[in-house]
Amino acid sequence: MIKWAARTTAGVGLGALTALAEVPYVVVGALLLVLPAARPAVHRGARRLAEVERARLLRFLDARNGDDYDGRRALQYLAPRGLLGLLGAGICGCVALGVVAVPVFAGQLVTGRAPGGQRPAEAGEWLLIAGLAAIAVFLCGQGIAGVAALDRRLARRFLGPSHRELLRRRVSYLATSRAEVVEAVNGERRRIERDLHDGVQQRLVALGVLLGRARRSGDAELVRQAHEEVQEALRELREVSWRVYPIALDESGLDAALESLAERAAMPVEVRYTLNGTPSLAVATVIYFVASESVTNAAKHSGATRITIDVHLVDWKILVEIADDGFGGARAGGTGGLTGLRRRVAAADGEFTVDSPEGGPTVVRAVLPCG
Amino acid sequence: MRVILAEDSTLLREGLVRLLAEEGHDVVAAVGDGEALLEAVKTHRPDVVVTDVRMPPTHTDEGLRAALEIRESRPETGVLVLSQYVEKRYAAKLISGDGGRVGYLLKDRVAQVGEFLDALERVGEGGAAFDPEVVRRLVARTSHEDALGRLTQRERDVLEKMAQGHTNANIAKLLFISQSSVEKHANAIFDKLDLPQAAGYSRRVLAVLRYLGS
Repeated sequence: MIKWAARTTAGVGLGALTALAEVPYVVVGALLLVLPAARPAVHRGARRLAEVERARLLRFLDARNGDDYDGRRALQYLAPRGLLGLLGAGICGCVALGVVAVPVFAGQLVTGRAPGGQRPAEAGEWLLIAGLAAIAVFLCGQGIAGVAALDRRLARRFLGPSHRELLRRRVSYLATSRAEVVEAVNGERRRIERDLHDGVQQRLVALGVLLGRARRSGDAELVRQAHEEVQEALRELREVSWRVYPIALDESGLDAALESLAERAAMPVEVRYTLNGTPSLAVATVIYFVASESVTNAAKHSGATRITIDVHLVDWKILVEIADDGFGGARAGGTGGLTGLRRRVAAADGEFTVDSPEGGPTVVRAVLPCG
Repeated sequence: MRVILAEDSTLLREGLVRLLAEEGHDVVAAVGDGEALLEAVKTHRPDVVVTDVRMPPTHTDEGLRAALEIRESRPETGVLVLSQYVEKRYAAKLISGDGGRVGYLLKDRVAQVGEFLDALERVGEGGAAFDPEVVRRLVARTSHEDALGRLTQRERDVLEKMAQGHTNANIAKLLFISQSSVEKHANAIFDKLDLPQAAGYSRRVLAVLRYLGS
């Protein structure tokens, strides 16, 4: 507590000193702005001063601000900030006065004199002084805290991107993620086409060949093989259509779809699902595909022996974690499935991370808004 | 016939190897990608190569590129290309250059074993074999609609069969008409399409296809 108060006071005090540089800078700088040639230099200087403020706020007032602002904005910041610094200087002056007053009064109290005088003290006089001193301490403390709070607020308001800039970024982010969703959808279609071509179609052609041979030779064994092949082809077709869209999502909800995913997997998959009910279909679909793609990846590339799928609520957001005990080394780059997932999650306004150090384990994590 | 098979699906490759063996062909090699196919052709000098278009590593047109290379470097080898889709581009590439010994079938056609074996034999014997679907699509898309529009229905039928690589005798059988009327129709087609008469059915197919595919 005392340490914190001392740091805040030191921060405000330093702020008072920087104000002594800032106020003249703002006045001169504002005048120089009339000259177009001087503007860049003025802005550069303003930014340098604002950076000093930013460092001071971080060091003494625990306020973290972005450096994502331009010189114009820095100058806009410095004007109120300079005045605030002067206010801080005034309060620091009061504190200093108090600090000087304490030994003076203490000496008079010890020697039995009246406060501020040479005559002997009267009863009650010191009580009044004590009361006034307490009020002064309180007011100084409040003053310091108030200046510190205003300092933080100003910095938050001016340092870092403006509202307009934030909107611009949001629009560009949305445009990118929209384009990426289209790309992700195309990627999935490509994969489905490959699944159909490499799997089902080859199987059916092979089946046709088998039946053709059976017909030409009249061999009952070939017919039996063909019958088996039909079962296999049907199974494969079912798998592919399930991969295209798991209809269980619509019919019985996300938890059922995840359970079903676990049952179909080639290795033990544990599902921990602690949401109450199913999120909106859009979010549920994203969660499902994150889980299913991660399980497929783990089964194909990680050498994992078991996987857990964990879906739960954290801070009003849905956290999906798929962890395996494989040897790691997964990267969400290039055109792989993980990139597709990142795009899908981004499109749902979520965050997607893959933590997969060499040697494992791999944890795929998506945080999605509650839909 | 000495045959080399290139097909990346093990299941289908094995099935085809058995089928061809049962039909008395000698499958001298069965490979899974274009590179291995070229290698095998160099070693075994087969009569016919049957190749899938899409194979590893890129799963795009490895088989076709290998087929074109074989046609270039060893024109005496018959090449039968199996494709998942009708690609006019592929067909056009394959039929450029003379000499027959070429076929282009939809992969699904392999399941109709009789047709597949028939096509393989035609290609092996120096003829041509084009999938009915390929021909139909080429005809449908052709820019010479006016010229084709001048053909009668019967002539269109004959043209289609010709384009598939059938001989006149075969066409006569398939359409239940006499061979001499097939010849008559053929001449009428060449006249109407402004094609000079050529001897040998493979040249005829190529001419027709090139015309349709242009």
